Amino acid sequence: MTNTKVQSILIVDDEEIIRDLLAEVLEDYDVNLACDGQEAIDRLKKRKYDLVITDLRMPNISGEEVVRFARESYPDQQVIVISAYSSLHTVSQSITNGACAFLSKPFSIKELMQTVEDALQGAA
Amino acid sequence: MSLFGRWFTMSLRMRFILPISGMLIVCMVLIGGYLVNRQADSFMRELESSGETMSKILAINAESGVLFESKYELEDILLATGRFEGVEFATIYNIESNVLAQVGEREKTSSTMDRKALIEFAKTAKPIEYRTDNFGREVLVIGAPILTQKKILNREHLGITGGLNNSMNHDYVSEVIGCVELGLSLETVNKSIMEATTATIVVTLLVVISTFALLTLIISAVTKPVTELVEVTNKISHGDFSRKVDIQQRDEIGQLASTFNKMIESLKQSRDEIEEYNRNLEEKIIERTHQLEEAQAQLIQSEKLSGIGQLAAGVAHELNNPLGGILGYAQFTLEKLAKNVPEKTTTKEISSYIRYISDIETQARRCKTIVQNLLRFSRSSQSIDFEETDLNKAIEETISFVEHQLRLNQMTLEVNLDRQLPPVQANVGQLQQVFTNLLINAMHASEPNTSIEIVSRYSPALGEFGGAVELQFTDHGCGIKEENLKKIFEPFFTTKEIGKGTGLGLSVSYGIIKAHQGEISVQSVPGQGTTFTIVLPVQNSPVTTDTDKKTNE
Repeated sequence: MTNTKVQSILIVDDEEIIRDLLAEVLEDYDVNLACDGQEAIDRLKKRKYDLVITDLRMPNISGEEVVRFARESYPDQQVIVISAYSSLHTVSQSITNGACAFLSKPFSIKELMQTVEDALQGAA
Repeated sequence: MSLFGRWFTMSLRMRFILPISGMLIVCMVLIGGYLVNRQADSFMRELESSGETMSKILAINAESGVLFESKYELEDILLATGRFEGVEFATIYNIESNVLAQVGEREKTSSTMDRKALIEFAKTAKPIEYRTDNFGREVLVIGAPILTQKKILNREHLGITGGLNNSMNHDYVSEVIGCVELGLSLETVNKSIMEATTATIVVTLLVVISTFALLTLIISAVTKPVTELVEVTNKISHGDFSRKVDIQQRDEIGQLASTFNKMIESLKQSRDEIEEYNRNLEEKIIERTHQLEEAQAQLIQSEKLSGIGQLAAGVAHELNNPLGGILGYAQFTLEKLAKNVPEKTTTKEISSYIRYISDIETQARRCKTIVQNLLRFSRSSQSIDFEETDLNKAIEETISFVEHQLRLNQMTLEVNLDRQLPPVQANVGQLQQVFTNLLINAMHASEPNTSIEIVSRYSPALGEFGGAVELQFTDHGCGIKEENLKKIFEPFFTTKEIGKGTGLGLSVSYGIIKAHQGEISVQSVPGQGTTFTIVLPVQNSPVTTDTDKKTNE
């Protein structure tokens, strides 16, 4: 990164282990955590993040809704979807909703890092 | 019931015999009666004529006796007369109605001829009367006038007008001087009539009886067979087809009997046919029930599988998150170590820690693969869609499912897959179910430390379009007996003991392969081993090698 400002990432997943892992792996960034869709939307209402990483299958408000909300609120919002559901349908739907990348669980750390970098560079 | 009605309830025999006999009797009686009557008449006439003749002759012979009043002469004549058979009495009267001579017994009081009567008598030709005298005899009384020829002196004096001799040229005239009375017994005549009547009656009776008998005999040519027909028909109506009509006549009844027998035959055949159809129907029902049971079993199996598939999907998703955590942290730790711990400072302990964490990563990755395969399997076994499939890959994935079980039983796998295998339209999940089934069966049939071979081969010559793919699963186990070989794909057929296996696996596998337009067959040598061969046709799809699905690695 050539940018001096630390970029903010919102991580949305109902699994604690995933949130923690992502937080560790992305420790160099300004990481915020949301444990479900509702919290994610609440946070998005308050501020914009450089990147949103979200799971799809969550109780009450699903990841798709989070993606849509984020993109509607901030048209250039970068969103990465991480999910165990990696069927063609799910992936294409996520892209249609506005995600810029899709990672299937379980993911490799290297791939995650690369995707995050690409997404943030796209935002910059 | 009316007479008319009664008539029709009588038996055939009666209706036949009674009228004929009746008519015969009537005819015989009429004819007989007529004949007897005629006979009687002629007897009477005979008697009358002989009586006439006798009395006339008597009268002629008595002329002189009466003229000269010679009693003895007259008695002689009468005696002679009296000796004739049938003469009851004979009397000669003079003109005064005095008895001049008599023979036989005569009623004293009966018709004394007086003069008037005599004159009348002389006029009429044949005075005849029949009477039963008071001796109880039936007699024919015949009279004849005794005449003499006399010269006519004075006609008027004699009081004769006309007279017997009407010719005016004669001088002579007949004069009545007395009369003869002859009583002839009717006994003989009566006896003859009696005889004739009796004979007629006897003959009539004989004729009637013999006709009766003859008719009975004749009509039994109809009634007896009819009775037999009735009996046989009755038996048949109760379902007993054993009797045949036994009638030997060659006439119309005989024909009826033979055609009747033919009818019995065809009725029997029809009934047998119906019974057979019934039996067949029952067999067909049993067969159909089996088929339905089989279909139901398959349905239950696929339902179970679908349930398992859903379960598997749920579990897999559940597993993904913890796996993500394990794999992620392992990788992250390794990276951190790589970044922060330079080569030179790596101690033995740190190296071993690195190794441990590597192992964790490897195993986590392995779990990921298993879960992914499981997910894929469950997804496709729930769907009925066919898609382009790399069979080798499907086999390899199946192996990964059963690997552990095989190793537990100390089985080894020899896998020989043709890398040029073209893709096939298939439902991966279902095919994997078949492979699993075959592998597990092979394992159950084999002793530990034996091998199972899996071969895949492409034959351009097999099948219709584009050739076919052949897959073979061979084990070296106990084999299958020949008589069981053809039953092996039947549902519920199993040689395993109760509790081990339902016998559904192969029948379901068979159904799946059939649904893929393929063939599955088995060869076996008991004691040596078994080979299952699956042939799947390659459709006219373009042969592409790009079947690697993108998976995260």
